[in-house]
Amino acid sequence: MTIVAAEHLSKWYGQVSGLNDVSVSIPPGITGLLGPNGAGKSTFMKLITGQLRPSKGQVLVLGEPIWDNAALYQRIGFCPEQDAFYDRMTGREWVTALAGLHGFDERTAAAAAARAIAAVELTEAADRKIGSYSKGMRQRIKLAQSIAHEPELLILDEPLSGMDPLMRRRTVKQIKEWARNGTSVLVSSHILHEIESMTSNIVLINNGRIVAEGDVHQIRDLIDEHPHTVSIRTTQAHAVARELLADEGVVSVRFEPGGLIVETVRPDAFYARVTDLAAGGQFGPIHEITSPDDNLQAVFRYLVKQ
Amino acid sequence: MRARPVPPSFAAGAARVFGLSLGEMLWSRRTVFLLLVTGAPVFLAIVARIVRGSGVVPLRVNGAAVDGGSIFGMMIWVFFLRFIVPVLGVFYGTSLIADEVEERTITYLFTRPIRRGAVLVGKYLAYIVSTTLVVLPSVVLVYFLLVPLGQVARTFVAFAADLGLLALGLAAYGALFALVGAALKRPLVSGLVFVFGWEQIALLVPGYLKRFTVAHYVQGLVPHAMPSEGVAAVLQSVLRDNPPALVCILALTAVVVVTLWLGVKAVESREYVLDQ
Repeated sequence: MTIVAAEHLSKWYGQVSGLNDVSVSIPPGITGLLGPNGAGKSTFMKLITGQLRPSKGQVLVLGEPIWDNAALYQRIGFCPEQDAFYDRMTGREWVTALAGLHGFDERTAAAAAARAIAAVELTEAADRKIGSYSKGMRQRIKLAQSIAHEPELLILDEPLSGMDPLMRRRTVKQIKEWARNGTSVLVSSHILHEIESMTSNIVLINNGRIVAEGDVHQIRDLIDEHPHTVSIRTTQAHAVARELLADEGVVSVRFEPGGLIVETVRPDAFYARVTDLAAGGQFGPIHEITSPDDNLQAVFRYLVKQ
Repeated sequence: MRARPVPPSFAAGAARVFGLSLGEMLWSRRTVFLLLVTGAPVFLAIVARIVRGSGVVPLRVNGAAVDGGSIFGMMIWVFFLRFIVPVLGVFYGTSLIADEVEERTITYLFTRPIRRGAVLVGKYLAYIVSTTLVVLPSVVLVYFLLVPLGQVARTFVAFAADLGLLALGLAAYGALFALVGAALKRPLVSGLVFVFGWEQIALLVPGYLKRFTVAHYVQGLVPHAMPSEGVAAVLQSVLRDNPPALVCILALTAVVVVTLWLGVKAVESREYVLDQ
């Protein structure tokens, strides 16, 4: 059984090709869709969520064509990448209203929204206006709207973007729990480490084509050959840098306004270390960790050369 | 896993979107604009009331005083039907889908088990309710400010007809521009060109062109007689070859049904993410 099946799928924007003759079968469970910005990842996500119509080929989601098939959305939850909301609504109002679009009566929609909000640990802020939320909270309320109707398939576009390290860890744990409970998850990211923390099953996309699919460990060694760049936003950059430089894998540190940029050849250990530092709190708050996509781009260049 | 409800029907989906959109529409910045636009005639009516209260006749045509009922009739025609209703139709109608696309919130509505057309219809219904909720009270205020209490009984039927006409006008212009907003990339510009370009020209050109305007049918339903001399006579001349009321009502109803149907078709076939 496949949850998403694409056959010779292409999408052109006028003369520009967004996706080129892609054939792929995505199995149940968690699958990571990995690719640098502009690789065609976003086009693929929009095609499988029915926001775009294929120029050529076909795409089946849960066995049915998705374009112009509204009923299928009853079985799908989608968390888009864009930071867009009805800012005047509270988180609870927003999730309840969107759950209501699935046909729940008012009371059931409110209960479903409350469960989803609790799952993303946002109950305390649920009655505040979304406009007052931090970036991480906005990400979480987006996740809540995607799970409120308990979908069979969850499609998450860069879901960890903007979250602090602790919340990233909790969200990854939550996503894995949803998968354990029978929900299939397709999650996109340009950061290999993020995907790797959720699943070993990945689809690599670059230049509008599927470059590789399968087990992440097959490309793991390639990753290690390229120093991995991580940006950390913190008020105590020097103290954090001192602590991190003690790690074996760290090859360079440079400072920038509001934080620091670190290069490491052991990203797994490094991310775990940063998360521990954030949890410990002795170096002040670590607001955000991000990884520019040039890490992945280097791997893609390598793969293409191969 | 809990049992899922049956996906909403088209009508139920539209009703849910209506519920979601009404509050957003009523508390939007556009409502401030709407209040300003509909507040202008109220302000003028207050001025006229004060002037009349001081013993001065606020408006004369060829030396003859124009009574409050006639001033009200002219305000309905000049301010509301020829300006406020089409302008609201353009600004709200074209934005029903375009705003959601621009703010990138359309994704949340289009990835739900309701037909995309139901999203347009639900938002259109929210437009009707939110604009009439603001426009009609403004008309009521203008009426009671301008028309002396002694004339209320005599003019009340025409006043009720005005309210119905304004609601029908808002519905027709809103549906037309909902289609424009759903189908075109720069809907606001196209809408303004239609209202302030095409309709103005077509109404003045003798012949059948005026039949391709909404204003032709709206003004055919105006229940008030206009002053027949002076500057107002120019306006009156436009009214002379109006179609019968029944034809106007049928034509405006057809505009609502046909343009809304075409709007639904446009929304269901267009890839809006390409505009983002």
